[in-house]
Amino acid sequence: MMTTPLIHLGRITLLLLPLIAGCAAIAPAAPIAPVPQIVAAQPSTAPLSDVVTTMPPTQPLTAAQATQPTAPLPSTGAFSAVTPRASSTLAAAPVAPTAIAIEKKSVLRAAETAAAAARPQEAPASAATGTKPPPRPVAAVAAVAAVAAVAEPAAPPSLDLNALKEQLKETKAIGVLTKLSLKNQVDDLLQQFRDHYQGKAKITMAQLRRSYDLLLMKVLSLIQDADQRLASAIVASREAIWGLLADKQKFSTLEV
Amino acid sequence: MIDRSTFLAQTLLLAAFLGGPSFAAEDEALKKDMASVIALQGLPCGQVNAVKVNAENDYTCRCKDGNRYRVHINTAGRVIVEKQN
Repeated sequence: MMTTPLIHLGRITLLLLPLIAGCAAIAPAAPIAPVPQIVAAQPSTAPLSDVVTTMPPTQPLTAAQATQPTAPLPSTGAFSAVTPRASSTLAAAPVAPTAIAIEKKSVLRAAETAAAAARPQEAPASAATGTKPPPRPVAAVAAVAAVAAVAEPAAPPSLDLNALKEQLKETKAIGVLTKLSLKNQVDDLLQQFRDHYQGKAKITMAQLRRSYDLLLMKVLSLIQDADQRLASAIVASREAIWGLLADKQKFSTLEV
Repeated sequence: MIDRSTFLAQTLLLAAFLGGPSFAAEDEALKKDMASVIALQGLPCGQVNAVKVNAENDYTCRCKDGNRYRVHINTAGRVIVEKQN
């Protein structure tokens, strides 16, 4: 019969239709806007240290504190433009829906639940015993803010911690197990900060800063090729996050 | 009239043609994920050549340099990388 090849052809066409539709749906890669080179090196602290040395000492420095070459000033005005916004949005920021696949979500959720069950409760008394660092002179603060403003004229908007967490969860640049592994390391670092503030560990702030920089470098090296926007945002908010971690009172209010 | 077996064969062929690339892409993504996890623990590997799935969230990876690692999630929710002999 003449109709048999036609039916055959029709069926093959029907089978190939999804393939053709799939190929047609593949969009060409969107042109990536030129992103400035990500530099993971620590920002120079020379101007800050100069300013610090001109200020009258308000409390004696220990030997460990005096040898901190890269420890920033948690309460200086350089970060004051960013840190209050970040800390204020921590409590109010809504949790955005994640774009991770369902099974990947379940893996992370199970891991978080298990980790939360295994984690000891943070002592609430640590917040009460916190001492606020002494205020800096206004002139020094203004000088530091001016230096920071000149150094980063076109920096992308900074992130708060929750936004950073959500974007890291949503990024496709790294796999689920890598994300979980990074989360483990972030939790470890936060525990080190808790131990430091509670006086349980003899780890210094300079060592914590080194660990923080190393962890950030790991994150950046993992995402900078596939998610340059997020990498740039992390670099931009690097000091703001450190400002939250390095201040005992701000750290005690973090819910991470 | 086209018979049922021919139609089935054509369907399977088309399914294999469509499904093959996505499986390969998932496999490559898993290898990359494993390589990142191993590197995050500071262990030598370089590139993961093969990944064997032992169970859910439990893998054995063979690296290009000959090292073999078991990567799994323990009950505390931590990613554990153990070197295998």
